[in-house]
Amino acid sequence: MHLGRRSFLQLVPGAALALSDLRPAQAANEPLRIGSILSVTGPAAFLGEDMKAGLQLAVEEINAAGGINGRKIAWTFYDAESQTQKAISATRRLISQDRVEMILSGGNMSGIALAMAPLAEAAKVPFISSEGALAIVTPVAGRRWVFKSTVDDGDVLERIADYFDKKKIKKVALLADTSGFGQGAVAQMKLVGPKRGLDVMYESFGPADTDMMPQLTRIRDSGAEAIVCWTVTPAGVVFLKQAQQLGLDNRTLIHSYGFVSADYMKLAGDAAKPLLLASLKISVGDQLPDSDPLKAGILKLYRNYEARFGRPPSLYAAESYDAMLLAQQALLKVGGDPAKIPEGLESIRNFAGLSGVFNFSPERHSGLSKHDIVLINWRDGRFNLVDYA
Amino acid sequence: MQTSSAFLQLLVAGISTGSIYALIALGFNVVFKSTGAMNFAQGEWVVMGGMISALLLGTFSSVGVACLLAVLLVAIFGLLSERLVIRPLRHPTALLITLVSIGLSICTRSFVMLTLGKKPVGYPGFSGATTISLGGVTFQAQTLWIVGLTLAFLVIMHFFFERSMLGKALRAAAADREAAAIVGVRVETTILISFGIAAFAGALAGAIITPLTLASYDQGAMFGFKGFSAAMLGGVGSLPGAVVGGLALGLLEAFGSFYISSDFKDAIAFAVLLLILFVRPSGLLGRADVVKV
Repeated sequence: MHLGRRSFLQLVPGAALALSDLRPAQAANEPLRIGSILSVTGPAAFLGEDMKAGLQLAVEEINAAGGINGRKIAWTFYDAESQTQKAISATRRLISQDRVEMILSGGNMSGIALAMAPLAEAAKVPFISSEGALAIVTPVAGRRWVFKSTVDDGDVLERIADYFDKKKIKKVALLADTSGFGQGAVAQMKLVGPKRGLDVMYESFGPADTDMMPQLTRIRDSGAEAIVCWTVTPAGVVFLKQAQQLGLDNRTLIHSYGFVSADYMKLAGDAAKPLLLASLKISVGDQLPDSDPLKAGILKLYRNYEARFGRPPSLYAAESYDAMLLAQQALLKVGGDPAKIPEGLESIRNFAGLSGVFNFSPERHSGLSKHDIVLINWRDGRFNLVDYA
Repeated sequence: MQTSSAFLQLLVAGISTGSIYALIALGFNVVFKSTGAMNFAQGEWVVMGGMISALLLGTFSSVGVACLLAVLLVAIFGLLSERLVIRPLRHPTALLITLVSIGLSICTRSFVMLTLGKKPVGYPGFSGATTISLGGVTFQAQTLWIVGLTLAFLVIMHFFFERSMLGKALRAAAADREAAAIVGVRVETTILISFGIAAFAGALAGAIITPLTLASYDQGAMFGFKGFSAAMLGGVGSLPGAVVGGLALGLLEAFGSFYISSDFKDAIAFAVLLLILFVRPSGLLGRADVVKV
């Protein structure tokens, strides 16, 4: 009698289990296929290069240490060129042609990651996004396979509201750009503002705008005590210069984590003096108290990243590096089976990455909290810690 | 009190942005006059002006010298673009030149990104970071430079086209290519020169606005779009039209976003543009062409 493999398994109940246990061991020689999509050209390029470097460093470090569960990482990278359409076809290629076992980073633009999420979900390929918008991972029921390694705008606004409480500031203006990043913050502020008893006025500007006098004049006349600006574009420098020009520099000026860039600060010059930035801790890693759980990791990343790329890591590099760390953690938790990565990620608690301390759960696929945000300023050619908690 | 100071503040902002739009619109108009085409590479030359000025500032310590050299370099780039891209066209119709100019703008943007980098750049104004306070209005001294240089350039252009032989030749070629050629005007040279002037105007706009706004390689499309709108608003091909259109667009944006909503800044400006074009299809100062069929 000839027994096919399937019928053999049916005959011997324990065999199926034994075989499935064998699979990871067999695959141990095979590399772990991971794909990433970032925009290293186009308008979002300045973010993409750092994020690519972050992933590259993480891959190299993990491979040098022998891989994950003995499997080295084979990394495939595609440039989305800041275009959603390009990213979608690259995602399809990663899934069907390169047959990657997971995708890390989604084009460093929320709009791109939002478009990629349903594709990864449908193909049941784990996708850890290093982009900002909360909508990438909500509603969780339709995003079993999608997670994100970045902080939520709502949390950042909560943290800024904490600072306003401390300074007894009640009347604030939110000056956001018209991109997805800026308008996402507006939507969140409409939830956070009333909850925290803030009187918020909203103004907006185009990412390529060269003049904000009308908006700033309105804000000046409204008597807002603080102005929160939400953009990643050079228009944020125009905001600082014109605020100074209008004499608004005696009010509290805050930029979001999207503007934490030494280049921008240098371009703003004197006008950056009154500014506070809501940033991840990495920008001021060496000034963190020794008790901070992130400090050791951040200092190590600084050493290795500077040795590898000849420049200090930005917070964007940390976000993509974290995506890889989370993938590694999840794989270690589930014994290396990529199909179980969602369970692995959902069981991550109090894991100190570089952007913050991650806590995922089956209900929440975004891992950071407002406690991972600090307020910093720019003095003497460097970022300095102003408000720790 | 507050409202009147806000009004003046907006007026200053509108005029300074409007001056920049006027310079870009002038570039559109000059090329339109000589070819009948819309040159969509115009915005990229604005960016080049700013970015090359910043680059040269590393070598020359004076902002003025760096800007002047940068503007001249971009003008040469404009001449080269015409010579290498437009001239070889076998049948240079207006539509074809317009289409080719879109390709030229994309190539120019990539060229700027690859050679000058992706990072935004800036430099101090011609009078440093001096700010001037006048009757409750505060503005940077650079604003005066912008308005002054724009006016000076427009006046020079006016006399160039009205008085100089070369300017008259350009106008003649624009009015009737064949007739101009018969009386000895080299039509190809006039197109070349118009591209040079357009690039000069664009680069000048970029060099003088960058101290206030920074320049980055991807801003060109926005500048081009605004300059194009200003040209349409004022009347395509009309020199005073560029000034009127530019200032009108700048002021509309400033006042519209203050008194109505900053969310609709561009929408307000373009809604008014559409309205005016419905009523006066040839723009505020444009003359309707009589075309024989």
